[in-house]
Amino acid sequence: MSGTGATTHAINVQDLGKKFLLQSRGESTLKSLTLDWITGRRKAREEFWALRDVSFSVQTGETLGIVGANGAGKSTLLALLAGTKQPTAGSVETHGKISSLLELGAGFHPELTGRENVYLAGAIMGLSRARMADRFESIVEFAELNEFIDQPVKHYSSGMYVRLGFAVAVEVDPDILLLDEVLAVGDVSFQRKCLERIGEFRDEGKTMLIISHDLETIKKVSHRILFLEKGGVQGLGEPEAIVDAYDSRSRSLQSVGLRREWGSGEILIKNVEIHDSNRSPCESFRFGEKLTADIAFEAKERIVSPVFGFSIADSEGRLLYGNNTQLEDFDIPFVEGSRTLRLHIGELRMARGIYLLSFSVHSADHKTNYHRLDHHSTITVTADAAFEGCYMPLQWEMDPRDAG
Amino acid sequence: MRSLLRDLLSHRELLWILVQRNLKIRYKNSVLGFFWTLLGPIFLILIYWAFIRLLKIQISINALITGIIVWQFVAMSLGDSLNSILGNANLVTKTAFPRFLLPLSTVCANSINYLLTFAVLLVFLFFRHAEPAALYFLPLILLTQFALCLGLSLLVSSINVLFRDVEHLMSVMLLAWFFLSPVMYTNAYVTDTLAARTQLSDATEVTEALADQTQITENTAKILHACYLANPMAGIVTSYRSVLLSEDVLPMGMFVAPFLLSWAILFIGLGVFSRLEQRFGDEL
Repeated sequence: MSGTGATTHAINVQDLGKKFLLQSRGESTLKSLTLDWITGRRKAREEFWALRDVSFSVQTGETLGIVGANGAGKSTLLALLAGTKQPTAGSVETHGKISSLLELGAGFHPELTGRENVYLAGAIMGLSRARMADRFESIVEFAELNEFIDQPVKHYSSGMYVRLGFAVAVEVDPDILLLDEVLAVGDVSFQRKCLERIGEFRDEGKTMLIISHDLETIKKVSHRILFLEKGGVQGLGEPEAIVDAYDSRSRSLQSVGLRREWGSGEILIKNVEIHDSNRSPCESFRFGEKLTADIAFEAKERIVSPVFGFSIADSEGRLLYGNNTQLEDFDIPFVEGSRTLRLHIGELRMARGIYLLSFSVHSADHKTNYHRLDHHSTITVTADAAFEGCYMPLQWEMDPRDAG
Repeated sequence: MRSLLRDLLSHRELLWILVQRNLKIRYKNSVLGFFWTLLGPIFLILIYWAFIRLLKIQISINALITGIIVWQFVAMSLGDSLNSILGNANLVTKTAFPRFLLPLSTVCANSINYLLTFAVLLVFLFFRHAEPAALYFLPLILLTQFALCLGLSLLVSSINVLFRDVEHLMSVMLLAWFFLSPVMYTNAYVTDTLAARTQLSDATEVTEALADQTQITENTAKILHACYLANPMAGIVTSYRSVLLSEDVLPMGMFVAPFLLSWAILFIGLGVFSRLEQRFGDEL
């Protein structure tokens, strides 16, 4: 039943779970089933929860963006909302007519023409032929398919296919629109048109759920963003914050591959904590902001004149900047036991992006590596200007002598 | 059940489009198109006719043609419904609508074909001076056959999604069912054979030539015949022949079991389908 409170929910998801059974060997046939039965079901089919304990609600008129890595459960969630899959646990409650464009493609029949498929889609949505006829022109126009509309869709290019799918999904006048990665396909001009239409849809007070890997766009169109990871809700809220969280999370997962650690171990770097200027742990910095790194280390014996170093690399591990205590004439006569060395970087001057920080400690003659942590920490830098690399103070000037 | 009817009503337009699509795709890329609806059975009739002459089975041409056309509807519906879910994977995984519309549309499309062939059959029988009796039973027979086809289609289409074995089993089962049903022969042929056996056992002198043949009592013969008629298609084909041709007429009571069984299969089909359809989205 639809709520009559001040805020109405278009979608209400409670403790939603979807379990898949992974089959170790091929398709299930009567034979395999009989064998399992005879052998006492020894083959335990592996369970996989694509979604688990997911709860959230979407208000009428709200646009919810969904981000997450591949396999996080985004598409499964949309399929459950669309009703093409059934939940294993929990419940999905939706109010209003739902139209969806799931995973690259509408439910088109390849042998039927574009026109026939449009009417088929309309009928699935429960629209009468007459109402569909009214909308037909605008669908064809939007999809830019004028001369192809009476061709079987199997002859369509993938771009044409998606254009028609999007046009139909939007034009059947749904209350709730579910879009899975529509922005990833089609040419730039069509993407722009899609975005415009999505904007109009938003203004009409319709509810939308959009999955996209295009973070900038999804940030712009969404009121809130849902961040899924491994089938669970990792974050839900204000677009900027969630996208940042997702971004740094996915980058840090990516950088795990670049991580390395080695050394002789006389001095061990136990932990490095990155802080912002307010001394609170931070992974995300503005251009020009101050960064502090607390390097906690432990020397098992007394070590004379160790050198601590650090470096900053871009997300692909290319070195941008490196420096150490020796070069900066910060003298450390000896270390013993547990101490913390603090590094202050006055101004971060890198272009916007993701950076990997490495830390090391070695002997004064560089012959012994006590401990190195390559690409240990990940930080994100945001900047207003879109210069590249590292910023260096500069001025531009037009030579006045040439004038006149 | 009520929600089923509500779904059907609210999606009648979709059903109609699906039916049209079934018909269109079947005859797409074929020159003779819709004429195959008639040509198919005509070829079959010719083949069976030759075959029956060889086997010396006693059956009138009217009874044979009626049997084949009636049988074809069931065989075609079942064959098509094997893929009515699998073949529409794109639709099932991308859109939400009552899934039973898919096998239903397959059976409906075949029904349209069937009714057209049936009309031709009626004209043919008229010119052959067939003597119909109790034609008012015809709608009930047609409806019962539709129920049987739909019930089986629901079963076959949904089980085939989970176990592809159905596809392989199907052709064997259909062949067996064909021979178990009075298509190439009549019910009278069955009763006559049974009667011949009972007479044998009543007779005190058993000739050596017939000694190896099984002898049965009259009671056993009755039970065997009842079992034979429990096959819904035995009842349905025979009922068509009684009504359209006044051939192979049986007492009304004999049709109760096969007809009830046909409707029971429809409800079993609906039950199984609604359980299995939960998994379509995952399996496709």
